[in-house]
Amino acid sequence: MEITLTHYLVLSTILFVIGLIGIMRRKNLLLLFFATEILLNAVNIALAAISHYRGDYTGQMFAFFIIAIAASEVAVGLGLLIVWYKRTGRIDLDQMTSMRG
Amino acid sequence: MQEHILSILIFFPALAAMLGFVVHKDSAKAYGVTVAAIEFFLSLWLWKIYDPAGSGMQFQELAPLISQFGINYFVGVDGISLFIIILATFFTMVGIASLTETRRLKDLIITLLFLEMTMVGVFAALDAIIFYVFWELSLVPMLYIIGAWGGPLRIYASIKFFLYTFTGSLLMLVGMLFMAFLHYKHGGVWSFSILDWQAMNLPVNYQMWLFGAFFFGFAIKVPMFPFHTWLPYAHGQAPTIGSVILAAILLKMGTYAFVRFSLPMFPDASVLFMFPIAVLAIIMIVYTAMVAYAQEDIKQVVAYSSVSHMGVIILGIFALNVEGITGSIFLMIAHGVVSGALFLLVGVIYDRRHTKLMSEFGGLASVMPRYATIFGIMMMASVGMPLTINFVGEFLSLLGFYKQSHAFTLVAGTAIIVGAIYMLAAYKKMFFGTVTKEENKHLKDINRTELMGLIPLVILAIWLGVYPKPILEPIDKSVKELVVLMHEKARTVEAQKRIPDLTKSAQEVH
Amino acid sequence: MEIYLYIALFAPLVGSLFSALFGASPKTKVTGIVASGLLFVSFVSSSILLSYVLGGHTVHVEMMTWMATGDLYIPFGFVVDQVSVVMMMVVTIVSTVVHVYSIGYMDHDKGFNRFFSYLSAFVFSMMVLVMSDNFLGLFIGWEGVGLCSWLLIGFWYHKESATWAANEAFIMNRIADLAMLVGIFMLYWNLGSLQYDVVFANITTLPVVVITWIGIFLFIGAMGKSAQFPLHTWLADAMEGPTPVSALIHAATMVTAGVYLVVRANPIYSEIPNMGLFIASLGAFVALFAASMALVNRDMKRIIAYSTLSQLGYMFVAAGLGAYWVALFHLMAHAFFKALLFLGAGNVMHAMHDELDPFKMGGLRKVMKGTFIMMTLASVALAGIYPFAGFFSKDLILEVAFVDHHYIIYSVLLFTAMLTAFYSFRLVALIFHGEERYKLFGIHPHEAYKFMLIAMAPLLVLAIIAGAFKGSYYQLVTSLLPSGEYHVHSIATYWIMTIGTQLLVLAAIAFAYKKYSSWSSVPDGTSALEQSFGYKLLANQYYIPWFYEEVFSKTYRKLSHCLWKEIDLKIVDAMVDGIAGVVYKTGEKTHKIQNGNLSDMLRWMVIGLVILMLFAVGFSVLAMFAQAQVEFVRIYIGELVLGIGLVLVAVSVLLVTYHAASIRKTGKGR
Repeated sequence: MEITLTHYLVLSTILFVIGLIGIMRRKNLLLLFFATEILLNAVNIALAAISHYRGDYTGQMFAFFIIAIAASEVAVGLGLLIVWYKRTGRIDLDQMTSMRG
Repeated sequence: MQEHILSILIFFPALAAMLGFVVHKDSAKAYGVTVAAIEFFLSLWLWKIYDPAGSGMQFQELAPLISQFGINYFVGVDGISLFIIILATFFTMVGIASLTETRRLKDLIITLLFLEMTMVGVFAALDAIIFYVFWELSLVPMLYIIGAWGGPLRIYASIKFFLYTFTGSLLMLVGMLFMAFLHYKHGGVWSFSILDWQAMNLPVNYQMWLFGAFFFGFAIKVPMFPFHTWLPYAHGQAPTIGSVILAAILLKMGTYAFVRFSLPMFPDASVLFMFPIAVLAIIMIVYTAMVAYAQEDIKQVVAYSSVSHMGVIILGIFALNVEGITGSIFLMIAHGVVSGALFLLVGVIYDRRHTKLMSEFGGLASVMPRYATIFGIMMMASVGMPLTINFVGEFLSLLGFYKQSHAFTLVAGTAIIVGAIYMLAAYKKMFFGTVTKEENKHLKDINRTELMGLIPLVILAIWLGVYPKPILEPIDKSVKELVVLMHEKARTVEAQKRIPDLTKSAQEVH
Repeated sequence: MEIYLYIALFAPLVGSLFSALFGASPKTKVTGIVASGLLFVSFVSSSILLSYVLGGHTVHVEMMTWMATGDLYIPFGFVVDQVSVVMMMVVTIVSTVVHVYSIGYMDHDKGFNRFFSYLSAFVFSMMVLVMSDNFLGLFIGWEGVGLCSWLLIGFWYHKESATWAANEAFIMNRIADLAMLVGIFMLYWNLGSLQYDVVFANITTLPVVVITWIGIFLFIGAMGKSAQFPLHTWLADAMEGPTPVSALIHAATMVTAGVYLVVRANPIYSEIPNMGLFIASLGAFVALFAASMALVNRDMKRIIAYSTLSQLGYMFVAAGLGAYWVALFHLMAHAFFKALLFLGAGNVMHAMHDELDPFKMGGLRKVMKGTFIMMTLASVALAGIYPFAGFFSKDLILEVAFVDHHYIIYSVLLFTAMLTAFYSFRLVALIFHGEERYKLFGIHPHEAYKFMLIAMAPLLVLAIIAGAFKGSYYQLVTSLLPSGEYHVHSIATYWIMTIGTQLLVLAAIAFAYKKYSSWSSVPDGTSALEQSFGYKLLANQYYIPWFYEEVFSKTYRKLSHCLWKEIDLKIVDAMVDGIAGVVYKTGEKTHKIQNGNLSDMLRWMVIGLVILMLFAVGFSVLAMFAQAQVEFVRIYIGELVLGIGLVLVAVSVLLVTYHAASIRKTGKGR
C-alpha cells in the first residue's frame, strides 16, 4: 500500500486530538507541556507532509520555525514552572487562580 | 515655510503642549495664551496666503506612511475647511484666554493644546486614515476634559460621550476600509486619499451601503436625532471650556465630513437619502427646540439649541445646491461663534452662582447690565436676526432646500419661530422681572478677563452678519467645484435633476 | 443726492450708537438731545430728497454686497422713489416729534439713555425697511423693527406683563416672518432675483398660481407686522411699553409696514385681484372687529390701539381694492393724528400717575388745556370730520369701496366709521369732561412740560391740514403706483354720500358726548350692561387671547415638557442606555467564565476553536453549494471531508471531557 497524504493527515489528526484531550484533562503543569508538544508536533507532521506532496518548501520551513519556537517555549515555560514549584511546592493547575476575573 | 504651513499648524500646538509640561504652574496660562495666539495668527496667515482664485486643494503636503496600502500623510485646505480651521484656532485662543478654572490649570491647557492639534488635523486631512486618526484622537482630550474637570455626573457623561461617538466612528472606519478596497479593485492600487475617492464613480447600490456606513459615524458626531442624547449630558457635565470647544468645533466635524465625504463620493445616494435625512433634520429642528423650551437649566437650553441649529445645517447640506451648501458651511462657522459665545456666557454666571438653574435667577438685567446686553446680542444672533452672523447661514440653507422641497422648508422654517420661543423664554426667566434672590442682588458684572473672550465674538457675530463676503466668496468657489463634481458623477436621472448643472446655467447666462 | 440718502438713513443709527455709549451710565440729557437732533437732520435730508423726487427724479444707490453665492446676489441697495420718500417723511417727522417729546416723558426714568438708543435704532430699522431696493433688505428692516419693538415693549423689564407682551409680539411676528421668508424663497427660485425692479418687471411671466402663492405668503408676513386678524392680539398687549413707543411704533410706523409692503408689491397684487379682494375683505372685517373691541374697553391706551388696528383695516381695504395710493395716503394721515392721540394720552398718563382707566379721570380739561385741545382735534381728525386729515383719507376709502361696487365692504366701513367716532369721543368725554373723579383716588394732575406740547404741535398742524396735500401727493405717487381717480359718477350721489357720512359721524359723536360727558361714577362691574354677554364678549376681546393661551401656549408648554421628560429621556436616551446596559449585563453574567483556572480556560479555548472551525466548514459548504465553480473547494474536497471529520471528533471529545469533568466535580475523584 502506498502511503498517501491522507495517511499523514490522519496521523496528524489523531496526534492532535490526543494533545487536545491532554490539554483539557491534565491538571499537572508538566503534563500540560507534554500535551502542548504533542499538539505542535501534530501540526508539524501535517505541514511537512503537505509540503512534501505539493513540492513547496514553505511548509517545511514553517515546521522548523515551530520546532524552534516550541523549544524556546519549553525553555521559558520550564523555568517559570520551577520558580512556581519553589514558591508553592505544587504544580497543580486548579491552584493557580490568580487571574480570576 | 508656506508649503509646510498646514503641518506647522497641526503639530505646533502638540509640540507646544509637550513643552508645556516643563512650564511653571503659575505661568501656564500666559504660555497657553501665547501658543494659542501664535497658532491663531498662523491660521490667519494661512487665510492671507490662501489664493481665493485658485481651485481645488491648496497647500497640499504629501508624505508616504505605508505606501503599500496607499496610506499617506496628506493634508490640504480649500474654502470649505479653511474657515473652520481658523474658527478652531480662534476658539482655542479665546477659550484659554477666558479660562477661569483653578484646579490643575496647567493640565487643562496642555489638554486643550492637544485638542487643537486634533481639530486642525481633522479639517486639514486629505487622507482618510489621517482623518480617522485625528477624528478619534480628538475624543481623548475631550474625554479627559469632561472626566477631570466636569460636574458630579462627569464619569457617566464622559464615558457615554466616548463610547457613543467611538461606536459610530468604527462603522465609519469599516466604510473607509471598504472604499480603499474598492479603489484597489478598480484601479489596482490601494488608496486612502479623499481626492482619489472623490474621483471614483461607484454603482448606486455600493453608494447606498457606503453612505449608510459613513452616515452613522457622522450622524452621531453631529449629533442627529435620535443619536443626540449624549450631547446634553456632555454639555451638562463639561466645564465651560469643554462645552465651548465641543459646541463650536467638535460638532462641526460631523457636518464637515458630510460635505467632504458623503456628498462628493456618493452623489446618487445623497439624493436618494435626501428626504429621509431631511425628515430627521426637521425632527431635530422642531423637536429639540421644544425640548429646549422645557429645560430648567440654562446650559441645557443652549445645548439643545445647538442640536436644533445643527438640523438647519444638515438641511442646508442636503439641499445639494450651491446656495444651500454654502449657507450650511457658513452656518457652521456662525453657529460656532454664537453657541461658543453662549456657552461662555453661561460659564460667566455659573462661576458666580455655581448653579445653572434658571429659576435661581431673574432680574439679572438690572444687576448685570453689560452681561445682559452681550447675552441679548448673542441670543438675537442665535434666533437669526438679520445682520447677525446666523441669519446669513440660516437664510441660505433654507433658501437652498426650498429648491428641493417647498413643504419641508416650510416646516423646517419653523426653526425661526420655535428658536425664538425657547430663547426669549429663557432670557425672560434669567434677566427680566425683579431680583428675588438675595444672592443675586450683589452679583458682579462681567469682568475684564471674560470680556476679552466675549467682545471679539460679539464683533465677529455682527461683522460677519453685515459683511459676510470675505468668507462667503472662498466657500462659494469651493462649493461650486463640489457641485460640479457631484453633477458630473451623478448616475441616476433623479440625481442629475436634483443636483444643478452649473456649467449649463453658466452658459445660459453668457 | 446720494449723500442726503446716506445721511437720512444713518443719522438715526449714529444717534442710537451714541446713546448706547451712555447705556450703563446715569441719565444724561445729552443723549436725548443728540438723538433728537440727528433725527432732525435725517428729517431735513428726507425733505431735500422729497423736493428732489418731486422734480421727477429718483435716487438709487448700491452701498455694498451683502450676500453673493451661487446665482444669488443681494446688495445693500437703497432707493428713494415716490413711495419710499413719502414713508421716509412720515417716519422722520413722527419720530423726530416723538424723540423730542420723550425727552420730557422719560425724564424721570432710570433707563433714559437706553431708551433713546433703542428708539433711534428703531428709526434706523424702519428707514432700512422703507428705503431698501430689494425684498431681503426689506426683511432686514422688518426684523430690525421687530427687535426694537421687543426691546421697547419690554423696556420696563421688571414688569412681568411688559416682558410677556414683548415676547408675545416677537413670537407672533416671527410666525408671520416665516411666511414672508417663504414668499421671498419663492420669488428667488422663480425669478432669480430679489431686486424690486427685476421682480416687478418679470412677475407677469409667472403662472397665476405661483403669483397667488407669493402674494399669499407675503401678505401673511404683512398680517403679522400690521396685526391683522388672527395675529392681532400682540398689538393691544404691546401697550405695556412706554407711551412714546406706542405712538411711534405701534401707531404711526411699524404697524403700517404691512400696508407699505402691499403697496410696494403692487405689481404682484395687481396680477391677482382675487387675493386683493380677500385682503380688502379681511381689512373690512378687522376694521369692524377692532372697533367693536374699542367700544367697551377701560384702558385708554388699548382703546387707541384698537383704533389703530381698525384704521389698518381701512388701509388694507384700499390696498386690496387696488387703490394703493389711497392706502398710502391714509397711512400718512393716520400716522399724524394717531401719534398725536397717543402722545396726548401719554400726557394724561403722566398727569394721572400711570392710571389708564378713563373712568377714573374726568374733568381734566381744566388742568390740561393744551392736551385737551390736541386730543380733541386728533379725535376729530380720526373721526373724519371735514376739513381734517381723516376726512380726506378715510372717506376716500369709503368711496373706493363704493365705486368698485363692493357695497358690503362699503357698509361695513361706514358703520365702523360711526363706531370710530363713538369710541374716540367716549374716550375724550370720559377723560376731559364731566366730574373730576380722579379726586376720589387722591391724584393731583398737572399739565406736561411746555416743550412737550410744542413738540406735538407739528403733528397737530399736520393732522389738520394733511388733506390739503392730496393733490400734489397724488401727482407724486401715481408716477409709480397705479393711478385711479375714484369719483362717484353722479354728483348727487357724491354729495349725499359725503354729507350723509358726515351727519352719521356727527351723530355718533353727539351720542358719545351725551352719554359720557357727565359721567359721575366709576363702574365696578355690577351694572346690567357690564353683566350682559355682549359686553363681556367685547371686554374679553372675543376671548381670543384666552383661547390662544389655553389652546396654543399651554399645549406647546405641555407638549414640550412631555417631549423632554417622556420621549427624550424615557425613550430615546433610555434606548441608548439600554443597549449599553445589555453589554454591561452580558459582561456581569459571563465574567464567571473567567475563574482563573487555567484548565477551564483551556477548555474554553478549545470550544472557541471548534466553533470557529464549524464556521469555516459551514461557510465552505455553503460556498460549495452556492457556486460549484469555486476552484479550491472542488480540489480540496478530500481535505474538506477530513476537516469535517476532525471537527466531529473534536466535538465528541469535548462532550466526553465535559462529562468526565462534571463527574469529577461531583465525585471529587481524580
